[in-house]
Amino acid sequence: MCAMAAVKTETVPYLEAFRARTRDSEPAWLVERRRTAAARFAELGFPTRRQEQWRFTNLAPLTQGAFPPNSVENRIQIELAGELPAGAWLGSVQEALRDRPEVLRAALDEAELAGAQPFTLLNAALFDDGYILAIEPGTAVEHPIEVVHRGEGGGSFHPRSVILLGERSSATIVETFEGRGKSWTNSVSTVRLGPNAHLRHVMVQESGPEAIHLGLARAALAAGARYENFLLTLGARLSRFDVHAIIEGEGARCGLAGVTLLRESQEATVATFVDHAAPGGETREVFKCVVDDRAHGVFLGKIAVRPGADKTDAKQVSRNLLLSPRAAVDTKPELEILADDVKCSHGATVGDLDADALFYLRARGIDEAAARAMLIEAFAVDAIEGAVAAGPMRDHLRRRVGAWLEQSGS
Amino acid sequence: MYLLEINNLHARVGDGKQILKGVSLKIAPGEVHAIMGPNGSGKSTLAGVLAGKPGYEVTEGQVLYEGRDLLAMPPDERARAGIFLAFQYPVEIAGVNNMYFLRSALNAVRRARGEKDLDAGQFLKAVREKLKLLEIGEDLLQRAVNLGFSGGEKKRNEIFQMAMLEPKLAILDETDSGLDIDALRVVSNGVNRLRDPKRAIVLITHYQRLLDYVVPDRVHVLGDGRILQSGDKSLALELEKGGYGHLGSAA
Repeated sequence: MCAMAAVKTETVPYLEAFRARTRDSEPAWLVERRRTAAARFAELGFPTRRQEQWRFTNLAPLTQGAFPPNSVENRIQIELAGELPAGAWLGSVQEALRDRPEVLRAALDEAELAGAQPFTLLNAALFDDGYILAIEPGTAVEHPIEVVHRGEGGGSFHPRSVILLGERSSATIVETFEGRGKSWTNSVSTVRLGPNAHLRHVMVQESGPEAIHLGLARAALAAGARYENFLLTLGARLSRFDVHAIIEGEGARCGLAGVTLLRESQEATVATFVDHAAPGGETREVFKCVVDDRAHGVFLGKIAVRPGADKTDAKQVSRNLLLSPRAAVDTKPELEILADDVKCSHGATVGDLDADALFYLRARGIDEAAARAMLIEAFAVDAIEGAVAAGPMRDHLRRRVGAWLEQSGS
Repeated sequence: MYLLEINNLHARVGDGKQILKGVSLKIAPGEVHAIMGPNGSGKSTLAGVLAGKPGYEVTEGQVLYEGRDLLAMPPDERARAGIFLAFQYPVEIAGVNNMYFLRSALNAVRRARGEKDLDAGQFLKAVREKLKLLEIGEDLLQRAVNLGFSGGEKKRNEIFQMAMLEPKLAILDETDSGLDIDALRVVSNGVNRLRDPKRAIVLITHYQRLLDYVVPDRVHVLGDGRILQSGDKSLALELEKGGYGHLGSAA
């Protein structure tokens, strides 16, 4: 043994792939940053269930499989209806490295690596894909930006996306993750919102039944900024999505919502962490989870209110519907309040479909399967309608839920 | 032939308490029957058992609907076969649009009758006609099923659904309870318009008041899980004067 820290065995294939890759064309700061991240990842290894934040997440499909990094170009598809206004820059990570490396550098904050989770570090070491959106102050991008991330089978895929919104700028992004075959997608999105900036961020994870998806969206909000994240989880055998929001400026608002629909032996975790570090912030969280067959859904929702973050107003709701006796849900709200004069509440429910409502629908001639589908849809759509304004985006999400229900045929 | 034949029906609730202790009743198409009785006499249990509400266990007896074993049919099949229960407490269903729900129900019932689905235009036309009948505003249809409806709106919505689904056997479970006199008139008028030689209506009620507006062919008094007395509409007036206590002791 040499003097360097021990390397965890599960990290070896990823580190070997990291070393094997030449990065001659990249700027020195990025090469160095990747090295630092890889070294930290080697020390930490994969998380285990002994860690509280990973207690409910069974990573066996990941640790038992082999997912050599497999990033190549053209894995990302970026579409925009209409013109991008002057003052907005949008492109893939590859394009950003070529044309606007300073934008990428500004976004990849060194401090981010210090407390990062292992998979975030691995992403920082290996990322080749993803997109960058940078908007100048006062600029509104009216049309939604659509991004599709595709991970092919047989390897891992580490998209890194960066969204930088200047003061009073606004945008809407819809990201879809489609991992195919036995692929592992390990995505990281970094969002930085300037004062009074507004981002609507919709994410749809509809990977294939053998795929694995781990994702992190991390948003920092300046004063008066508004971040609205909606997460629809449909696919992957194993998935975990972390959404972290840091209220850095006074009066910033954060809306996190999501719908998770699981069947067969799917495992999915949604973990949120909202860190109120400034006064007068507002958080609204509504997460709904529908679990059928032998599937397992997990919700971890932490809200921290730091000393001095007075007048914080935070509300969190986790509602879960179990459709089969073998389906399971774990839901764990966590409030850590270190400020005065705050309003914080959370509520969690786990239950079956409402028997009275089911009978009412059947008593009007609607067969049991259709009546159940109607009630499940109502349960899920409620979260969509509460979080996403009427229009094409809401319709798109509703259709995804409808398509899921049609597949169940029960 | 009778539309509905109830023979010696015994039923109990989930906790084992016997509620119906031998109800027998025959109803022919075109007839309006009123079933009256004090609280706890088994009126709502009878309605629930006929509609197939979960939570009841039939321990003895038989129910024939158009000669078929009604109790063997699941609730949605009963509805598609033409049975309609107007709920005493219509259920609020958040997230399910009233119009969407009604159209699904109507098309399910129509398919069972061998009729084609209504397209959006035909459906809307039918809806508008019946809404007028019950003095319901169209905005009610854009809301979630019964959600936030007033008591009167809920009851009117029940009769509106009945008008849309055109059942062969309608069971109205205390539809009059909680209605003011104007709403009662509107609802009664709706029910009267649905009287038809091919349709039977069962009015379950605690009070005689409804029967001033919807005049029944037969009146039955239910007490302690049995039919204590049957007669024509004058029986309801006698009850109004003498009360149920009087009848209970006579039985």
